Amino acid sequence: MEDDRQSVDSLLPIVYQELRRLAASYLRRERPGQTLQPTALVHEAYLRLMKDKPGRWQNRAHFCAIAAHSMRQILIERARARGAQKRGGARHRVTLDEALVAGGERSIDLVALDEALERLAAFDPEQARLVELRFFGGLTVEETAEAMDISPATVKRHWAVACAWLARELEGGAPA
Amino acid sequence: MTPERWRQINELFHAALERDRSTRDAFLRDAARGDEELLREVRSLLANHVKSGEFLEKPAWGVAAHLILDDPPAGTLVGKRVGSYHVLEEVGRGGMGIVYAAEDERLRRTVALKALTPEYTSDPTRRERLIREARAAAALSHPAIATIFALEEIAGNLYIVSELVRGRTLRDELRDGPLPPAQLQPVLIAIAEALVAAHQRGIVHRDLKPENIIRRDDGQIKVLDFGIARSPVAASPTATKLTQAGAALGTPGYMAPEQFSGTDVDGRTDQFAFGVLAWELATGEHPFGTDAASILAIMTDLMQGKTVGLSRALPLPGLERVVRRCVRAAAAERYPSAEALLAELRALGTVATPARLVAGGDSLWWWQFHQVAVAALNASMPVAMWTIRHWVDSKPYRSTLFLAALTFATVSVTLRLNLFFTSRVHPAMLIEQRTRSFPGIAFADAGLAVLLLAAAALIAGDHDEIAALFLSLAIVALASLSLIEPATTRAAGLKA
Repeated sequence: MEDDRQSVDSLLPIVYQELRRLAASYLRRERPGQTLQPTALVHEAYLRLMKDKPGRWQNRAHFCAIAAHSMRQILIERARARGAQKRGGARHRVTLDEALVAGGERSIDLVALDEALERLAAFDPEQARLVELRFFGGLTVEETAEAMDISPATVKRHWAVACAWLARELEGGAPA
Repeated sequence: MTPERWRQINELFHAALERDRSTRDAFLRDAARGDEELLREVRSLLANHVKSGEFLEKPAWGVAAHLILDDPPAGTLVGKRVGSYHVLEEVGRGGMGIVYAAEDERLRRTVALKALTPEYTSDPTRRERLIREARAAAALSHPAIATIFALEEIAGNLYIVSELVRGRTLRDELRDGPLPPAQLQPVLIAIAEALVAAHQRGIVHRDLKPENIIRRDDGQIKVLDFGIARSPVAASPTATKLTQAGAALGTPGYMAPEQFSGTDVDGRTDQFAFGVLAWELATGEHPFGTDAASILAIMTDLMQGKTVGLSRALPLPGLERVVRRCVRAAAAERYPSAEALLAELRALGTVATPARLVAGGDSLWWWQFHQVAVAALNASMPVAMWTIRHWVDSKPYRSTLFLAALTFATVSVTLRLNLFFTSRVHPAMLIEQRTRSFPGIAFADAGLAVLLLAAAALIAGDHDEIAALFLSLAIVALASLSLIEPATTRAAGLKA
């Protein structure tokens, strides 16, 4: 949909700006309650668009999915660009050791995660979408359930398997 | 992996999870019915489920915070030699790259050297376009435009060489609050003159915002990056658009709706940004709000052709009208040209002299004195009515006179002292405040005058000297309201 594509593009700078703000507040370790959650932004934007131009977006789930997808695209683009620069243009996997230094969390190879998600989508598109909504879109279990029109319990079940599978893929020791 | 196989694995995974850890393996062996591959897969997933724990629990922007915030690392060039330029120091970082002060060894002068990040130069067509535009922009010569000297291609990298401007950006100045009203008009005129000069040559800025305008140390206003500024969503291929959004985005709040929808931009696009900028310089606040959500909401309106309603009196009377026209959603409803905009801006100065508001000059002092004096006089009215209450024979008249005087005096004194306070603390809001509260003040003052006349009539005969005093006070009050007040107000530049 050309019209759809255009709306997404126009949202992108805002999604990006919001992402920067969230990342900054995360680094400053602000309490989550003090920051505008991205879902709030997503909801507000969606309500506006629905009110003013019903039919432009199929429904709220469609909109949340697009916002989460934009965040994923921005992050992966950046991770790839960073990798290319570090290795003089050669493709290599980026390990976010900065994340380790900053907060002591597990480091996650975003580019590898993105590729693993693509593979997951090949045999379970629903679980791949769920991971995109939760991890890249930052939606809670309940919000994800609402956006995907499934029960929160189902979200948790899918999430558990998908995470286990992705974690194993990223370690590279997967059986066939 | 087939979807069917995956479903099978999922079911067994959840069924095993429900079992107690001690019986889990026996259950799995039983349920897999000799399917070794299935058994291995589920076991491995279960092991990872335990190990993975918090994996992916943190949202992506937390895990990759540095990735989002750090601009692509570029080795600093300070101290190095680039072609015939000797790089001296870093003077700024913008969306398009890092700006250095450098010594041009051929011409023996200090210049600004902007090293463009690869995102702008890796794609050949974009690179070609940038070179073409820099060439066009280099032909611009105007005191309020930072001149582009050259576009250098050194070892595969692009550098824009331009006039070095040292000073504070308008963004820096805005951190200290709005521009002093006396400076507002000259600054806006300087920027509009730069727009006129560029638009006459068909060059559009496209990214006008406080970050791109510097007030040089000697006071001269300089607009940077004319014609070469890249707005994040203007390019066509989606892939580069993403990177670009990542690198070049400042604030989307300055972009005209036609920039967002990717349609053609022209000089009127700059007028939109100018309108936003003018409002911000005058008030210290962005007209569309401060958070992403409200800016988004307004932009959604703009993209759908709805113009934003802006209502607030600005310290430069008439400027709000200019701003409203600049930020119209439809380019056709803005000024036909930057010349027309400039003419309007110049005309604004003849209406009022806002300099008086800041300087607190004599004329404003008289207006302030008038407010305080009238407030003091009005405050004494209820006291006077209370003092004469025994001379009035009729009881109902007595109470009415006193209570009415108290009411009118309270209203008038409160509003006048509030205006006085505003003139001392928020001069920028004074015009608006005065326009709003004057009807109330006029009504209360007129009421007090009428009460004085009534009291004079009631006590005349028994206390002629007091009645005469009241009569003259009433005349003074009416004269002050109808003659002195408008005169001091006009003199202070608070009204046309």
